[in-house]
Order: sequence, then C-alpha cells, then structure tokens
Amino acid sequence: MSAADLTTPVPRVAMRRPSPRFLASELRLVLRRRRNMAGLVVLAAVPIFIAVAVKSTASQPGSDAPAFFQSITENGLFVSLAALTIELGLFLPLAVAAISGDAIAGEANLGTLRYLLTVPVARLRLLGIKYAAIVIFSFLATFLIAIVGMAIGLILFGGGDVTTLSGTQISFAAGLGRVALAAVYLSLALASLGAVGLFISTLTEQPIAATIATVVFSTASFILDSIPQVHWLHPYLLTHHWMSFGDLLRAPIAWDGVVHGLYLAASYGLVFFLAAWARFAGKDVTS
Amino acid sequence: MTLFARRPQLRWLVPLIAVAVLASAGSVAATITASARDPLPARSAAQLLVDVQNARVDGLSGTVVQSASLGLPALPGPSGDQSSNLSSLVSGSHTLRVWAAGPEQARIALLGQLGESDVVRNGSDVWIWSSRDNSARHLKIPADAGHSRADTPTPGQPTTPQQAADAALRAITPTTRVSTARTAEVAGRSAYELVLTPRDAATLVGQVRIAVDGATHIPTRVQVFARGAKKPAFEVGFTSFNPSTPSSSVFRFNPPPGAKVTQGMVGGADHSPAARPQDAGTKPQLVGEGWTTVVKATLPQSTEGSTGRRSGEHADGASPLGNLDAMVQKLPAVSGAWGSGHLLRGTLFSVLVTDDGHVVAGAVAPERLYAALAAK
Repeated sequence: MSAADLTTPVPRVAMRRPSPRFLASELRLVLRRRRNMAGLVVLAAVPIFIAVAVKSTASQPGSDAPAFFQSITENGLFVSLAALTIELGLFLPLAVAAISGDAIAGEANLGTLRYLLTVPVARLRLLGIKYAAIVIFSFLATFLIAIVGMAIGLILFGGGDVTTLSGTQISFAAGLGRVALAAVYLSLALASLGAVGLFISTLTEQPIAATIATVVFSTASFILDSIPQVHWLHPYLLTHHWMSFGDLLRAPIAWDGVVHGLYLAASYGLVFFLAAWARFAGKDVTS
Repeated sequence: MTLFARRPQLRWLVPLIAVAVLASAGSVAATITASARDPLPARSAAQLLVDVQNARVDGLSGTVVQSASLGLPALPGPSGDQSSNLSSLVSGSHTLRVWAAGPEQARIALLGQLGESDVVRNGSDVWIWSSRDNSARHLKIPADAGHSRADTPTPGQPTTPQQAADAALRAITPTTRVSTARTAEVAGRSAYELVLTPRDAATLVGQVRIAVDGATHIPTRVQVFARGAKKPAFEVGFTSFNPSTPSSSVFRFNPPPGAKVTQGMVGGADHSPAARPQDAGTKPQLVGEGWTTVVKATLPQSTEGSTGRRSGEHADGASPLGNLDAMVQKLPAVSGAWGSGHLLRGTLFSVLVTDDGHVVAGAVAPERLYAALAAK
C-alpha cells in the first residue's frame, strides 16, 4: 500500500470535479509524441491511398472487391467507409493498443510513474484521466480517417445522393450523418479495446508488451469470431459486432447489432477499467 | 475504502461482480417480461390451424433469424457465416428483415456483413437487389396472375378453413402425433406451439414445432429437431415482431445510379434459387411412406450441360450447383451390395449419390437408403 493511497481516501477524491488541466496535459503528452503523430499520419494515409488507387485504375472494382469499394466511384463519401472497414482489422486496434498499452506501463518504464503518484492524485483519478485520454484518442483516430477519406473522396469523385446497402438512396446530408454515426460507433468500440489495453498496461512495466498483448487480444477475438465451431462464444467477443457499423447504412437502419455492440463495448469498458483499478490501486509502484 | 486498503485482493471482486451483473442483465430482463404476461387460453390443434388460416394482419415488420446445423460438410463456393448471398442459406445462421403491408407490398432483406440482398414487391413491381453485385433485377407481375393461384379454390378442395384444418389433420394423423402447447415465447411474445411428432421411429426427424403468435395467429417460428436432440437442427423464426403496418417508404425501390439493371417477367424458375438436383433428372420415384419416404431419382447424364442451362436461367451468374460434381466427390465414399457411391449424412436427412448416377434421399438413416436402392 502506498502512502498516496492511504493519505487520500479514493472515493472522496474521485468525486472531485475532474480537472481539465490534468486531462489536457495528458492529451498533450500523448499527441506530442513523435511516434503517435507518425501513427496518425499512417492512419490518414490509407484513405488517400485507396482513393488514388481507385481513381488511377481504369477498371471499376468488381464484386470481389472489399466492401464499399464499388460505391467509391459513385460517391466519394464511401472512401471513408472503405478506409474504416480496412483499418478496423489491424491499424485502428493497433493505434489504440499503442496508446493504451503505454498509459501506465510507459510511465512505469520511464520511471515517471512514482513521481506522478507523489503528487496528491488518487490512483482511481489517475486511471480515469488516462482512460479519458484513450477514449479521446479513439475518437480522434476514427474521425481523422473518416474526415480525410471524405475530403479526398469528394475531391476525386464528388458527392451527391448516397446509396444505402439496401439499394435505396438518401440525401448527401443524411449520408454524412450515417457516416458520422458509424464513426462514433467505431470510436466507442475502439475505446472499449482501450480499456483492455489499460488493464494490461497495469500488469507490466513494458509498454511494448502491453501493446502487443492488446493487439493479440483484438486479433484473437477476430479469429475466434470467424470460426463457426465456437459460435456460442461469438456474442461475447469484443469484436463480434464491430462490423455492424454497416447496419447504420441500411434503409431503414437495423439497430440490433449496433445496440448489442454498444452494450458489449460498455461492458468490456467497465469491467476492464474496474480490473485495471483493482490491479493498479493495490499495486506497489517501484519504478 | 479501509476494507480495500486492508485487503487489497478484495478489489478484484468489483470487476467480477460487474461481469456477473452485466452477463445476467439480459436474461433477467427477459424473465421479468415473460412472467408479466398472461397465459394463453388453451387451443386444440384443429382450432389453431383454423386460426392460422383466418389470420389477417394489415402489415407487419420484424427480424427473422434462420439457423441450420444440418451436419452438412462445408460447401465449397460462397461461404462465410453472414453472407448476404441469397444462395447461401443452406448452412450457418442468417438474419432477414421482413416487412409486409397488405397483399401487394412486401420486402425481405437478407443482411450480410456490410452487404444486403433485397426482394421488394410493390404492387406489380418486384425488385431483386444485391449490394454485393451492385445489381438490380426488375420483374413485372402480370396483372391477372396476382393471387389467383393461391386464393381460388379448385373443386374438390376444402373451402372453409375448418374443412382445410380437418383435412390436413386427417392426412397426417396416421403418421404423426399432433399436439399443442401454449408456453412458447417467440420474439418476446406468447405463442402457441403445434407439435408434430413422427410415429415412425426410423426417421431422423424427432419433432417439428411450429409456433403461432398468440395475438395475431401468424406462424412465427418453425423448429425441426433431430431425434433425441435438445437443440433444433433447423430453425427459422422471428426475433422481433411488430404487427403494425410499416411506412410505405420501406417498399419504394428505385435502382441507384451505377447499378446493373436487368428486366424480366415473373414466372419460370426465378423464385427457386436452390433448385434441387432431382429436378433435372428423370421423374423421381418414392419408396416407403410417411416420414420415412425415400426419394429415388436418376441424375442427368451430363451434369455440365444442365448446370450451364440452369445458371443461364438464373441470370445471377453464380449458380449454387455449378460445382455439384466436385462437391459430391468430396463426400465420404460408401459401398455395399447395392453398389458404391458417396454419402451425405446430415442430422435430419441423408443423401446418397451412387456412382452409376442414381440419387436417393430421405429423412432416414443411410441404411434405409441402401435398402431402398436394393429394392429397385
């Protein structure tokens, strides 16, 4: 038990108004890191690459192309969706894993964690700030892809009415709203993976180990989800409903999968945040 | 918090309790709503059949989940457990959304991951849409062909629902025990169940349960159980059901720009994407009766020719039977006094394709198929 924990009772401190200053400094720390900026540039490069590749190829993408590729030539908005679909497999989870794996283990590895804890900040509140920064980063990464994809798509292919998966058309504004909804949904889904990463980050002092373990978690979840023999497990897998963001592009919207996905994301987020607290609050910080 | 300070290990109870609460939240909610419902009044099988025929709703919408664990080998070709391809319904689990308003408007959407296939009927227009292929097929229903087939009684057939129900029950009673239950719950609604149990123990089918919605009397679920199985081998039923007329915009379909549009007339083989292999051979022959009936047929000599013709008819390019031959060769080989062939052994039925071009199938164990072959 550390002195910080005993002198500042956790619940009372946790009730205190969240300090925007602490969160702002944490966000600045995350975003100013050269490696994180490079990661965001890679994320943003994918939609640009997709749009340029489709534009510069004479033949239209056929029915064996990845989802949404066929629609790109009709409407530039689909560059966002195609990029999100492709990056959801590895790039986005990897980005969130890098940030969340670094959250505690990174500080421990650099030796800054014990200094952080000497200031009178409750550990629950420290975890809360760390997690808030992860959630904000999830939104940032997802919306960066969506907005860059939309911008390059509109420049190269133009906009107009949006064709839903059901074959009916909705106005461009409505389509924009659907893409924004999809991005919010994916951000929340990735934020729940961030909670898993935060928990793993409290287990180790090696940030790279926490990051790899988090990517392994999401990838294993994808793999299990594709094995029909364990279909009883599928509804409980973190990634099972991720692709349900496509349901937001039907007419009318099919909410079932999205609602299940949000419930699952909230559950994973809560459980792993509590587990991170259980581990971190009672941990002897030596480095 | 002093407790946690003294016994830090106890903190781990908090996430564990959260897991327990979150995992049980769904089932608790279901139990509460289930116990709040009034029990349905008792109905006999005949009454239930009459109810079903008299059921008229102005419209409905809902989600249908179909799942099959027929024990089939993984089929080569279009696969994946949530494909939106219309020919992929034979294995795995699929979700469909359905809407209907009156007899003239209906829409079925097969949801795939990031894809969708739709069949939309609005008056005399039928559209078949596939987001995967970005294609729309437009069919016209001739004005006179609408519902004459189903609604005009032909002489000698039962004219009232009561007669029809009695005739149906009379026909199946020798082979089947019919009973009803009123404890089923489908899509969160109380439902009756019509339970059909084959009397013949030789069939692989253990029970067929047909759920009928308690309020609207629309059949809402069909389950087929293999003998001795606790879980259905085949199930199709509503997971959400709303008996109110959906908005008319749901049935409006205009092909989006850029889509491939083809035109056609209703009629011909367009409605049967899963044409059975027996169709193409000589006239099938039935051996046995009731649940243990075995269908015997001869395959056409040239499979190539027939599949080519069939895929032309379908005009969707991807014939599900295009690689029938390759599929058969992958099945386990069997042989006996009747000859040799390849056996497909499912949980509900068996199919045997002999090397000399015969096919026998039935809801029976393979031994019955061998016996049927030997009896020729």
